Amino acid sequence: MSKFFAYYSHHIMKYFKSKSVSRQEGVVADNNTGNRQVRDDGKQKIIYYSSLSDKAKCRAHKLKCSYIVVSNSDIRKYKLPLQKTRTSYVNIYDFKVVLQGECEFTKEDRCTLCMGSFNELPEDVDITLLAGKALDEFMVVRTPCKHYFHKECLSDWLNFDNLENAHNRINEALEMSRDASVAPLNVTVLEDQPFREEGEPFDSAESYNPETPIAIDFGSYNVRAGYINQNKPTHVFVNELTRYRDRKLAHTFTFIGNDTLVDQTVCSQAKSPFDGSLITNWDYVEDIMEYTFNHLGVVSDNGVRNPLIINERLACLASQRSNWYQILFESFDIPQATFGIDSLFAYYANNETNKDGIVIDCGNQDTNVIPIINGNAILTESKRIDWGGSQAIDFLSEVMTLKYPYFPTKLSDYQYRRMYEDYCYVSQNYNEEITKCLTLEQLQEKNVVVEAPFTEILQPQKTEEELRIQAEKRKETGKRLQEQAKQKRIEKLIQKTEEYEYFSKVKEQLVDQPKKTVLSILQNAGFDDERDFKKYMYNLEKSLKKAQAIETDGADDDAEEEEHKFDLLEIADSELNEEQIKEKRKQRFLKASFDARQKAKEEKIRKQQEEEEARKKEEEWRNTNLASWIKDKRKKLAVLVKKRKDKVKLKEDMKDRKSQASQKRMKNLANLAEDTPQSGSKRSRQQATIDNDPNDTFGANDDDWAVYNDVTQNPEALDELIEEDYREIVELEGQLLEFDPNFTEEDTLDAQYDWRNSILHLFLRGPAPHDSEDVHEQHQMHLNIERIRVPEILFEPSIGGLDQAGISELCETILLRKFDSKPSKLSQTALNMVNNTWLTGGNSRIPGTRERIVKEFTQFLPVQTQLAVYQSNNPSLDAWNGMVKLGNNKELYPKSFITKTDYEEFGPEYIKEHQLGNVNYF
Amino acid sequence: MAPPPPPPNKNNDLRLEFLRTIAQKNVIPKPLRKSQIELAQADTTNQKAPKKSYRRHKGARQLISEETKRINSILEQEQLLYDADSKYVRKTPKVTFFNVSAPPSIKPTKKYCDITGLNGPYKSPTNNIRYHNSEIYQFVVKPMAPGVDQEYLKLRGANFVLK
Repeated sequence: MSKFFAYYSHHIMKYFKSKSVSRQEGVVADNNTGNRQVRDDGKQKIIYYSSLSDKAKCRAHKLKCSYIVVSNSDIRKYKLPLQKTRTSYVNIYDFKVVLQGECEFTKEDRCTLCMGSFNELPEDVDITLLAGKALDEFMVVRTPCKHYFHKECLSDWLNFDNLENAHNRINEALEMSRDASVAPLNVTVLEDQPFREEGEPFDSAESYNPETPIAIDFGSYNVRAGYINQNKPTHVFVNELTRYRDRKLAHTFTFIGNDTLVDQTVCSQAKSPFDGSLITNWDYVEDIMEYTFNHLGVVSDNGVRNPLIINERLACLASQRSNWYQILFESFDIPQATFGIDSLFAYYANNETNKDGIVIDCGNQDTNVIPIINGNAILTESKRIDWGGSQAIDFLSEVMTLKYPYFPTKLSDYQYRRMYEDYCYVSQNYNEEITKCLTLEQLQEKNVVVEAPFTEILQPQKTEEELRIQAEKRKETGKRLQEQAKQKRIEKLIQKTEEYEYFSKVKEQLVDQPKKTVLSILQNAGFDDERDFKKYMYNLEKSLKKAQAIETDGADDDAEEEEHKFDLLEIADSELNEEQIKEKRKQRFLKASFDARQKAKEEKIRKQQEEEEARKKEEEWRNTNLASWIKDKRKKLAVLVKKRKDKVKLKEDMKDRKSQASQKRMKNLANLAEDTPQSGSKRSRQQATIDNDPNDTFGANDDDWAVYNDVTQNPEALDELIEEDYREIVELEGQLLEFDPNFTEEDTLDAQYDWRNSILHLFLRGPAPHDSEDVHEQHQMHLNIERIRVPEILFEPSIGGLDQAGISELCETILLRKFDSKPSKLSQTALNMVNNTWLTGGNSRIPGTRERIVKEFTQFLPVQTQLAVYQSNNPSLDAWNGMVKLGNNKELYPKSFITKTDYEEFGPEYIKEHQLGNVNYF
Repeated sequence: MAPPPPPPNKNNDLRLEFLRTIAQKNVIPKPLRKSQIELAQADTTNQKAPKKSYRRHKGARQLISEETKRINSILEQEQLLYDADSKYVRKTPKVTFFNVSAPPSIKPTKKYCDITGLNGPYKSPTNNIRYHNSEIYQFVVKPMAPGVDQEYLKLRGANFVLK
């Protein structure tokens, strides 16, 4: 049996996290972490222990563990020598054992470390049959977590010569694995509205019967139309209209409903006849009605001959109704029409005419609560909240634009509607849920990522071959340049040697010449005098020597220094000739600089020793009294952190011109700049400005100089200080991490700025690190709290800026305070209503609405009150179904319609009162 | 009335062609509306077509104020009748657009963070934005660009409206 464990700590960590086992406990686990399913079958035993103390080893021994799992962080924390780790705890060559019997290795797999392919595998090898041994031959290693490595890479990775380097790499790996352990978020691409291929179909005119009433639910979002002998509306389309100008034909086409969805321009120009809950554009209404009749297959008989059942709003404005009358009776010449409230139609669709109940209609533009007694709506107690699906979608879109102000694309209303309808839900306990919402665990479950569609610009990927060629090219150019430089150097050298030879000859010639001749020769050669010439020669000689040194790859500088002899220094000047005195002077100078260097070296060594001593002292302290050492370090750390915090604050303040810090600075500056400072006692200040004045005590106190500090405190200088503090903090933290068992990664300063601890990050970017360079992530929106925040407005309209009571409060008033009810005891009518509560309207389809209403009702109703809240399968069709039911009711229907004659007789103010409609007076 | 036949399409603009066919389908051979019936008749008799009557477009706000006026005038009228005859029972419209509007909530308004929607126990003294914690204040509320605060306040209807 194999006896090794997963080296990759992220799998193990994940496992422990999922089982919520504290790190301090020992854990026995199977090694099958690769599947992320750890089976405790007892065959494989692994102990994980956060500290590799003797206790842990004992425990491991007791449990007969094959190996002790060491996580990367432990290696770092306890500074385990990796060499040792490799041999005594981990043996990479054990990895190959797993491969026996099960292998899914393909040639597409790449080395986890170098990302290189395993192309050295010979072509003819049947990879699926590769056993561990075979793989081993081809230098491929697989870890139990199903990562493949080049054997070289892996052993390289585990086998660092240099501990410091190892730490860095492990740090990197740890950082990566920490973020890599975060499951990638599920992203849904939010496609825009798909365009239709065809226009809205027409009902055949052959089956047209002018007697059958037509039912039209003229909603502000959708129009639903059909004959009452059908069981569902034949036409459901968005209530929008586009006037599209065809410039070539110089003709304006009208597109209505689903026909607006055939083309981008037409769709984007579509307008609704509604403004809020009211119809404002009656020309549109006329066009839409005509379109509806046309598609229903109505054959014109100088108008429409069918009776019509249509909806209107609760307590509809008189002008709206008269406009309807006008359109229906005058324009379309309809013989008779029934007007009713859509909420009541919806209730009627699911109830008999004599039942008590309460209907909650969540519509697109408003929400109505209507109590019903014996089938009759009590409109005086009905209430309307001016909030519906459309307002919710607008709210969502505003919230999202504020959340992502730099979002690269603009989402359409359709996309926001999808977001609202697909992802929003009514919270069962809003206040509790919002407090928990922005935590990692909750977000894993509830965060929704949507991505706006965009066309990605792909950077052409260079193949390995191309990269290789590029690197070679670069190398070659470098070589060529080097060669050129060398060539030039050599040329220069040659030139210089020639020059030197020439001038040496000149020099020889000058010997024994009269001074005058010498001067004239030199002046001809372009020198000022003999000194100039000598200087030139000296320089030439020096540079020649240097160049030659480079050519012969340089002699050692130190060796040269050793060669210096200071023999002349000991001898008195009188014993030396002139030449020797010169030499002596030179030697003295050289000696001085040599001594200085020597001194610096010694100083350096001394410092090192001091540091070493301090370190040893520290270590001793640590070894003898760890507690006090930790206490001291922690105290220091706290002071440093506070210092840094103060500086950061000061820096922030400096940015603000009005802050106290910058005001003080300006004041100081002004005081220093002024010749006669105004502030302070005048006399003493003036005297103090006079130099050499005995009264000038400035500087006697060290704090006096602080004024210059205050003045020079500019943000850049502060930045440096903050950076310095940060370095010290990191160093201290490193020590504490190493030796203080209670000091963990989470306690470090960096951890405070980790995205996991940032509410804002979780809110904006969900439970994952954010890469602002990633184009996909730029186009992503995270829905988390909005999912419950938006639908909550129906229960708490104040969130949406509406000064109205919510659904449940309205129901509470109706049920507990009206119809002879008292909060302690409900009347029979109210009890009947509670037992027959109907939830209808398209907006009630948001998940959780019904359950929430049940919950709210239970809260305010007396204990043990029977209650039932119903909702049909398709709440948005309820109203239309109610119209059909009414049209088929022989008793009720004849009482409900207003005929054209009625209209002509009574005028546009007339309301035909019936069970399901609006009423005039009480 | 059928639109004039499209001229030969030189650009072969399929999209336009497609739109035209869809629009064509909706043209009714026998008109349903009175105005169009009249128009068709006018065409056949070669008389000048009657001018299309446009209804005046009224915004929602205007409609509501007109309704208020209408209700007030009814009330005045009834009052006059009542003044003339004290036995007269006044008819008052009890179910109006305004009556059915939900009353303000009697429960105290809860305070939520304007930025995130979490609990918002704090309020910025400079712009009245509610916020959840110091982090939100430091990174969002404090460096907020002018005007954005009003956008946030608008969500809960607390913005300043200049009239």
